Amino acid sequence: MTRGVTRRPLVGLLIPAAVAVLFIALPLIGLLVHVDWSNLPSQLVSGDVLTALRLSLECSIIAVAISLVIGVPLAYLLARTSIPGRRLLRGLVTLPLVLPPVVGGIALQTALGRTTPIGTVLDHFGIVLPFSTAGAAIAEAFVGFPFLVITVEAGLRQRDDSFEEVAATLGARPWRRFWRVTMPLAAPSIAAGAALCWARALGEFGATITFAGSFPGTTETLPIAAYSSFEGSGQIGMAITLSLLLLVISVLVLVVLRDRWLGALR
Amino acid sequence: MTLHARVRTQLGTLGLDCDLSVDAGVTVAVLGPNGAGKTTLLRVIAGLVPVDEGRVECDGAVFEDTATGTWLTPEARRVGFVFQDHGLFPHISVLDNVAFGLRARGVDRKTANAKAHEWLERVELATYATSRPSVLSGGQSQRAALARVLVTEPQALLLDEPLAAVDASGRLELRRALREHLSPFAGVRLIVTHDPLEAASLAERVVVLEEGRVTQEGTFGEVSARPRSAWIARMAGLNLLRGAVSDGTILLDDGSRLTVATDIRGPALATIHPRAVALYRQAPEGSPRNVLRCNVAGVDPEGDRWRIRLDGPFPLVAEVTPAAAADLRLAEGGEVFAVVKATEIDVYSL
Repeated sequence: MTRGVTRRPLVGLLIPAAVAVLFIALPLIGLLVHVDWSNLPSQLVSGDVLTALRLSLECSIIAVAISLVIGVPLAYLLARTSIPGRRLLRGLVTLPLVLPPVVGGIALQTALGRTTPIGTVLDHFGIVLPFSTAGAAIAEAFVGFPFLVITVEAGLRQRDDSFEEVAATLGARPWRRFWRVTMPLAAPSIAAGAALCWARALGEFGATITFAGSFPGTTETLPIAAYSSFEGSGQIGMAITLSLLLLVISVLVLVVLRDRWLGALR
Repeated sequence: MTLHARVRTQLGTLGLDCDLSVDAGVTVAVLGPNGAGKTTLLRVIAGLVPVDEGRVECDGAVFEDTATGTWLTPEARRVGFVFQDHGLFPHISVLDNVAFGLRARGVDRKTANAKAHEWLERVELATYATSRPSVLSGGQSQRAALARVLVTEPQALLLDEPLAAVDASGRLELRRALREHLSPFAGVRLIVTHDPLEAASLAERVVVLEEGRVTQEGTFGEVSARPRSAWIARMAGLNLLRGAVSDGTILLDDGSRLTVATDIRGPALATIHPRAVALYRQAPEGSPRNVLRCNVAGVDPEGDRWRIRLDGPFPLVAEVTPAAAADLRLAEGGEVFAVVKATEIDVYSL
């Protein structure tokens, strides 16, 4: 298909394609141009930035952990069993992907807020989710875990269960098959899914600020800190520094996981 | 020790309905065309597919019995299954693959590894112990898969198309190697194959399975000499006829008669070797009794013998030398007279 007639591209398509490239590249270039490189080192190690970075890492890693614990089993059920309503369930799982994050945050508030039934029970045990670090992690997990479920499910679907059958005839019971065969074979897709989930959680803004607010040191993660300094205090220099930091992390994720991710989805 | 399987089950369009008994120490091949239900039969014995009705029993242990509702999980049956693609786990080493079954059955790591290593030496793969299975050739991975099931000392060994995943050039050597590795195994040995050569070289007994039913059993020689189905006859290269014998004549299903030399009576099968069919352009002189007026339907050159497909009262295949085919201008088609001597027709009861 790529031979012959399609070798010579239509010139008319080159222009919008070039605009598309600029569309993505220009803002990034703008960001890089406006970085105050001389003050960058001191800004990066300032207490505020480090606090936001630490909080971001904490919350996003917790979010990934939550997603792994509940997302992998769900992906397994979706891929390997014929539970009733599976298609509906899959639609439900992917909903956070398209749902505006703010709506997610409000929804979390209505489900887990202090005055809700669940919130009251949690309160009883001294756990308060809204406007807490745990709440920020929950919000990030809510938005990020569909990425994990979808990637892992695709990875599991890629193989049929013939290796599990082999393991069974060799005497392995169901749990052994799951841990020794299913999970290791799905490892690349789990890693890819976790990375996507982590990247999404790290950049999460809408659901987090709605459900957890923006309290420095408690819920003010990197994106929220960037927004606050940009919007609130007019410190555009700091906002650019924080944005640069997030950009570098994103590029790193992409580079490190490129082969792995593509390998798992291929 | 004997494996008994009585299986009635519907799987998609395939209805499997067969009884099978396999004694230990004898290699039995289930031979049949693709889609006959051979693999399904193995999967039933291994517990990977439940049956609608039936009973599977090995050495007194009931694996499955629909009458009593008994069903053992695959892991509870002591059955070694070598899958068609060998099924070596790609994420662990060859040694860990071979040790897998022992570890799954609770053997400690040290003992399991030692035994696995012993088996790898036995199948001449010790140098690959730490390698991933992906580096193994088709024959090597088959030996590894064989070692992986034999190390667990199963009661029954099931091999699904053992040479299918191996390229044709290596099969000769592999058949020999496989036979060597199978013979010391004292349990039940059951092979499934669509390849007559494999059945002939690996098995002492052949069970022919067609469309889910056993059509014939016996040694390969018996089965191929006196086929009971068109598929076997084709495999053995014989013309198979069906009819009823009385007074030295067989009345075929299509209404034609052939003179035969036999004492048997009643419903019978008859085979004619293609080489026993002589062809003439003119009706032969004298009085040979079986003369069939046919049309040449096709010519398939096969080395120094050409197979001539004939359309007559019934389809018939003749084999002639290329020289004879040229003399008779068979490649041009047209009418020929096929002559078969009564003594060349092998008749046996249905």
